[in-house]
Amino acid sequence: MILFEVFLNGLLLGGMYGLIALGLNLQYGVARILNLSYGEFFVGGAFTAFFTIMLWQFNPMLSLFISMPIAFAASWLIYQVLMMPLIRRAPDQDALDADVVLVTFGLFFVFQGLALVYWSGDLRGYSFLARPVHIFGATIAMNRLLAFSGACLIALTLFGVLRYTRFGAALRAITIDPVAASLVGIDVRKYSAIAFAVGGALAASAGMLVSTFISFSATDGVVYTLKALIVVIMAGVGRVTGTLAAGLLLGVVESLGGYLIDPALTIAINFGLFMLILLIRPTGLFTRA
Amino acid sequence: MDRRTLLKGTAAIAGAAALPSVPAQAQGAPDKLRFGYAITMSGPLGPGAESTVVSQYKLWHKRVNDAGGIMLKKFNKKVPVDMVSYDDQGKPDELIKLTERLIQQDKVDIVLSPYATHMNLASAPITNKYQYPVVYSTATTTKTYDLAKKLPYAFWQIVQPNEATAPLANYLASLKKDGKIKGTVAIVHPTVEYGVEMHEAFLNAAKKAGLEVVFSKSYPFGAADLQPVIREAAATNPDAFVAMSYPPDTFMFTEQAQIIGFNPQVMYVAIGGVFPTYKGKFGDKVNGILAYGGQDTNVEGYAEYDKAHRAMHNRPSEAGALSAYSGIEVVQQAIERVGEIDRPKIRDEIAKGKFKTIWGELSYVDQRCASPWAIGQWQNGEMVGVFPADKAGAKPVQFPKPKWS
Repeated sequence: MILFEVFLNGLLLGGMYGLIALGLNLQYGVARILNLSYGEFFVGGAFTAFFTIMLWQFNPMLSLFISMPIAFAASWLIYQVLMMPLIRRAPDQDALDADVVLVTFGLFFVFQGLALVYWSGDLRGYSFLARPVHIFGATIAMNRLLAFSGACLIALTLFGVLRYTRFGAALRAITIDPVAASLVGIDVRKYSAIAFAVGGALAASAGMLVSTFISFSATDGVVYTLKALIVVIMAGVGRVTGTLAAGLLLGVVESLGGYLIDPALTIAINFGLFMLILLIRPTGLFTRA
Repeated sequence: MDRRTLLKGTAAIAGAAALPSVPAQAQGAPDKLRFGYAITMSGPLGPGAESTVVSQYKLWHKRVNDAGGIMLKKFNKKVPVDMVSYDDQGKPDELIKLTERLIQQDKVDIVLSPYATHMNLASAPITNKYQYPVVYSTATTTKTYDLAKKLPYAFWQIVQPNEATAPLANYLASLKKDGKIKGTVAIVHPTVEYGVEMHEAFLNAAKKAGLEVVFSKSYPFGAADLQPVIREAAATNPDAFVAMSYPPDTFMFTEQAQIIGFNPQVMYVAIGGVFPTYKGKFGDKVNGILAYGGQDTNVEGYAEYDKAHRAMHNRPSEAGALSAYSGIEVVQQAIERVGEIDRPKIRDEIAKGKFKTIWGELSYVDQRCASPWAIGQWQNGEMVGVFPADKAGAKPVQFPKPKWS
């Protein structure tokens, strides 16, 4: 019974990992921008939720109506204003990656600095849906279940859009080969900007959902960028459902390992799995060969 | 902010009874005193450093300058304070470099304590080498028991592992003796120096007190989910749950204990348990929880401090921050008694003097604070000091901790 609970816990934790990584995979997979300031959008979403409940006393989920549009617009602008010049002058993807990493790393410092000035470095947390839910006799936290459901919903929606719409087909074409995509008449710049902006908005939504059960601060962004990056690399760049699956795998292995071996080893187990996948399938678990 | 109250408050705290300066006597006096610190502003320990230490340095800096500065009686003049600060990014080597920089390049008069045990320990040999007296306000480690002779310029402000854990073990033993509990304890700790040392000190104290430790596990600092740990602990059905935790885990344990309906009669959390954010998140559910640290809000000067704190930081102060604020008060009072920046004399004054601070009256034995607060408890939504029980202002412990619902 405890084993089942631990497994369920691992699923929820994994859903959270997947949730954090979905937006980054969209940004990296479609727009080909490795955004190291990704976590700052996550933190922005978390803070908006915090202020919504603590300051204005509204349901923190309503904060999504504020944080997601702002994150969308800000990401879109970043792509159009900061990334476009880099993309234009880069001779190839490797050169672009190097430039992008430097610029987004700089953005990370700018955003973190602003967050520290306006929100201070204090630890923040609030209580929302911190209630037990019983599933087949196991007890889990409702706020974690909410984040898990959010992750599934977002992953399914993205999957549906990518798979069954014309817009999604264009995005998939860009993921596979941006040059060829532009040759068949796809406006790569426009679609990439939208994908990048949606990625930013998803980061903000993940921040809101995760903030319901993990305390956070203005400097936490980089932690989540790293976590997201691990999941994206495990899943394979551009794989949406794969991202969720990789997150779930990570969560379940971490949870079971912690319980069956020793809780002190959870982070070691996490990275052990990551290294194993890098060795066996360096392009990611869910990429087609 | 009412400047007059601030002036009065600071004057009362500092015990400065001197008259306004006479220009003729002020010759040779420095225009400014320079205080400096390197501390963790970014990274996982950043929030704790901000809440416990940086916010206090900023507040003290404003209050002391609003009051005209520090009185140097040798020149019969109040001298304002300049503050220099750096981010050590949570890296001990960075902290060491920056501390050298503060002393050699910035030529500060006084160095202030960084944040977290291992950072305090990294800094102390440097400040000692240059004979800078520093009240280290955030170090809890068994190493301080041997450091007095090696590092005569380092003072240790907060409670050390043995004194921090023995009262808890003895309290549980007394409950057992009275037949209120069976005496079973579950203990968890993160694998960082503070967690490990507190864990060991508590195990020793528990053994001496005749308690039965039914569960003992560690977890990595920064774990995203602690439910498996707390679930296992709960399965042993202990009378007391003791977490030698750091702030993010303190919050997570408290929430997950509520979710799985784990209701130990005694619950102790370590760092972060006294934060106002902790109460902000859990509301009245914090009542009965024991935490590392403690305070007595009835101490003279506390009310003015609290008012100034709320005005500057827009939130109440936390008990843990009082150790940092009182540490700098001690340095200020020692400077004022010496009357000039003569660091060996200031060191001797701290070592032998008694200081009235917002954290109570402080003195140092072997450079360790004589009887700092060890354990506090949330009672009716307020954090109060409960151990050491014989300390002025200590309240009786409330037992048992109310159930969550």
